[in-house]
Amino acid sequence: MYGIIVVMKVHIAALVLIPLATVSVLRSTVHAQPTKSVWDGVYTEEQAKRGSPMYSEFCASCHGPELMGGEMAPPLASGDFLSGWDGLTVGDLFERIRISMPQNAPGTLSGQQNADILAFMFSANKFPAGTTELSNQAMVLKAIKFEAKKPGH
Amino acid sequence: MSRTFRRAAPVLVALAVGLVWVTARLSGQASGMPSTTKGDWTHYTADVRGTKYSPLDQVNAANFNKLEVAWRFKTDNLGTRPEFKLEGTPLAINGVLYVTAGTRRSVVALDGRTGELIWAHSYREGNRAAIAPRQLSGRGVSYWTDGKGDERILYVTTGYRLIALNAKNGAMISSFGENGVVDLKKGAVFGKGQPIDLETGEIGLHATPTVVKDVVIVGSSFKEGMTVLTHNNTKGLVRAFDVKTGKVLWTFQTIPRPGELGNDTWENESWAVNGNTGVWTQITVDEELGLVYLPVETPTSDFYGGHRPGNNLFGESLVCVDLKTGQRKWHFQYIHHGIWDHDNSSAAMLVDINKDGKIIKVVVSPSKQGYVYAFDRVTGQPIWPIVETPMPKSDVPGEKAAATQPIPMDAHGKPFAYVRPFVHVPDDIIDFTPALRAEALENLKRYRHENSPYVPLILGDVNGLLGTINIGNTGGGTNWPGGGLDPETHIFYSQANNSQVTTGSLVEPPPEFKTDIRYVSGVKGREFRVAEGPGFGSAADAPQRGGRTGGAGAAAEGGGRGGRGAEAPAAGGAAPAGAAAGGGRGGFGGPGPQGLSLVKPPYGVVAAVNLDKGELMWQTPHGDTPDNVRNHPLLKGLNIPKTGQGGSVGILVTKTLVIAGDPQVTTTPDHPRGAMMRAYDKQTGKEVGAVWMPAGVSGSPMTYRGPDGRQYIVIAVSGGNYSGEYIAFALPSSEIKTTSPAQELRSSGAGIRD
Repeated sequence: MYGIIVVMKVHIAALVLIPLATVSVLRSTVHAQPTKSVWDGVYTEEQAKRGSPMYSEFCASCHGPELMGGEMAPPLASGDFLSGWDGLTVGDLFERIRISMPQNAPGTLSGQQNADILAFMFSANKFPAGTTELSNQAMVLKAIKFEAKKPGH
Repeated sequence: MSRTFRRAAPVLVALAVGLVWVTARLSGQASGMPSTTKGDWTHYTADVRGTKYSPLDQVNAANFNKLEVAWRFKTDNLGTRPEFKLEGTPLAINGVLYVTAGTRRSVVALDGRTGELIWAHSYREGNRAAIAPRQLSGRGVSYWTDGKGDERILYVTTGYRLIALNAKNGAMISSFGENGVVDLKKGAVFGKGQPIDLETGEIGLHATPTVVKDVVIVGSSFKEGMTVLTHNNTKGLVRAFDVKTGKVLWTFQTIPRPGELGNDTWENESWAVNGNTGVWTQITVDEELGLVYLPVETPTSDFYGGHRPGNNLFGESLVCVDLKTGQRKWHFQYIHHGIWDHDNSSAAMLVDINKDGKIIKVVVSPSKQGYVYAFDRVTGQPIWPIVETPMPKSDVPGEKAAATQPIPMDAHGKPFAYVRPFVHVPDDIIDFTPALRAEALENLKRYRHENSPYVPLILGDVNGLLGTINIGNTGGGTNWPGGGLDPETHIFYSQANNSQVTTGSLVEPPPEFKTDIRYVSGVKGREFRVAEGPGFGSAADAPQRGGRTGGAGAAAEGGGRGGRGAEAPAAGGAAPAGAAAGGGRGGFGGPGPQGLSLVKPPYGVVAAVNLDKGELMWQTPHGDTPDNVRNHPLLKGLNIPKTGQGGSVGILVTKTLVIAGDPQVTTTPDHPRGAMMRAYDKQTGKEVGAVWMPAGVSGSPMTYRGPDGRQYIVIAVSGGNYSGEYIAFALPSSEIKTTSPAQELRSSGAGIRD
């Protein structure tokens, strides 16, 4: 009971005195959960542009130039891809790729290459771009929730 | 009693006991030999007859929902990186589990009660494994014992070697083969009989060997046949070895040589320039009759047969051979001149049925194409008619499709299908809404389609038709996990994919893809993509060096793909492969509208076929409605019944239940993100229970009685973010009724075998 009252007090103060962006930071400190989702502008257009030729070179032969998958590999865009990772974090997806992909040379791409390719995949899935690049660190990416549906839809 | 008799009595008793012991040994049911009736699981398919059946009944409909996770075995460190494609089915012998696992294809022995690792074995093969056609952990191991304390585990390595291990400690048996190893590549040939290169020659295996009496039988497998480097690939073969010494006992050549029956089904001497035609799935045996059943795959190039005119025996046939000699006894070809990748993908199952009052020894095959094939397993006579039926023609240059294909009929004269054998337009087309159906029918105008199975592929072109519509021909129907059957009720069960729509197309290979075959999978106008196979390149020894070779020594192409930290893989680059099917674990791909399947649900089923009556008994959707369907914006507000899921999973049949897991992960109102393992009533197909798993199943369920008297069910899960794990379920002790002091003792954990 006491704890809840303290939190509520903080929230009220924040709403009254502090801009919205800072409220998010405060909330994350209190709740310690993924603070952002893939719908919050978590990569940059520049990063996605870097990732595009890398995707073609390392991924497209199995996952398709349009990310629609193929005989041996699942799609990486829309429908089944989104629902397959829904509820997990970007860090989970990043780690899966980093450890086991591309299938015929697993683990040979650097963290930065993986992040750039992921940025390209996000743009292909129509997640909005933003002003911060996708980190090349799994721990940081764990704070971004992968949500199939844009919140509010 | 007379004095003479009293003196003789002990001798007489001893003789009687000895006779009983000897008789029991001869029948294989002696106390020394494990079996499913004792609560073991002695073969990948439960027994050598392929049944996937165990008579254990501690777990039943009333308590299935109470199953708890008893233990878990994570496989991440059995190799250089975690595996995401764990497909093994463990064996259980006297409460110890034996199975393969990890990117190294290590062999482990686990305590069946706790999952504790007893021993682990691995064999380093270097580049030979990195370029092998069938990588990762494979399907499991085989077990042999002489009943007198010598117990061995046998398995085929990634690099295609047969190894025998001491089951007690995992040590290699140095008296087997050469220092414990039989190099299976020795004896494999291409062309007219040229030996393949021991490092780069293409041949491997995922399936387990089959052990029967003192014989171990091994099949052969190759890369996927969509974009082959040569039609003159390594030739498939099946061999039997002495289980103790590794000496070859016999070889069955699946491509008949000159003078052998069936050689003339390879017109223009094409037997000499084609290969594959392996037996890559499980081999079963009638031990009493000494008959071995070989399910054969497609010849080289799954989709273009222009370099092999003729019916191509024994491609896509079931062949029965003699256990002692390997001589062919009978065969039946399921598909003539196969050009759809209708491999015989799973074990042929043995059961004695009661047809109209007569007991018949039967062998029955499930199939990718969705038909049931059943034969007298002694004579090869079909149990119900199999009718040669005219089929559509091919217009691909150089191709000549078979004019007819055999269609099995059921007891009522209808095609004996347990899933969709073809896409019926319009009856099978999606109809959630009129708009979706209209879009699907519009999409279909870009494809060749006919209301028939076995519609030949076309030369697809982005400016014309894109491909041919077929269903199940690559991923099934029933695929490698196979079916199961109840030997008491003579009912055959299988999970089957009902929505694996393919859009097969052929194209001339681009100049940079050096091959001698006239057409490969692809669409003119799209970027070309090489398809090597699931898991290819992910073995512990990968990335590979060189070795892009068919049997014809195309290793000259060299260069390979990738190299640790090196520059990009060669532009064996990109384009949708001819059969776009969104992967074998579900997913829709292809001409469906708005990310949905072209066809109506059910997307996947569990089916039961009554073999006494010769008819489909029941069929039920298997698996939660995929999230993508349940949450689809265009389907909001519609009350869609459970659709089941595509994909291929294995099945377990027990005294009272049929058990299968979901291939896909979902998040539903009933369970958090995960997949369910489900139990169905054997007679009705009604779901009677389900337990949650953290990932989709990638292996087949098995069951055994642990040293504590509990019935365990073990299943491999992996995929997505979840690396390979064997999970064991059992009832909590509160749910188990003990009926004897001995059982109570076992339940308390006392007297554990170590």
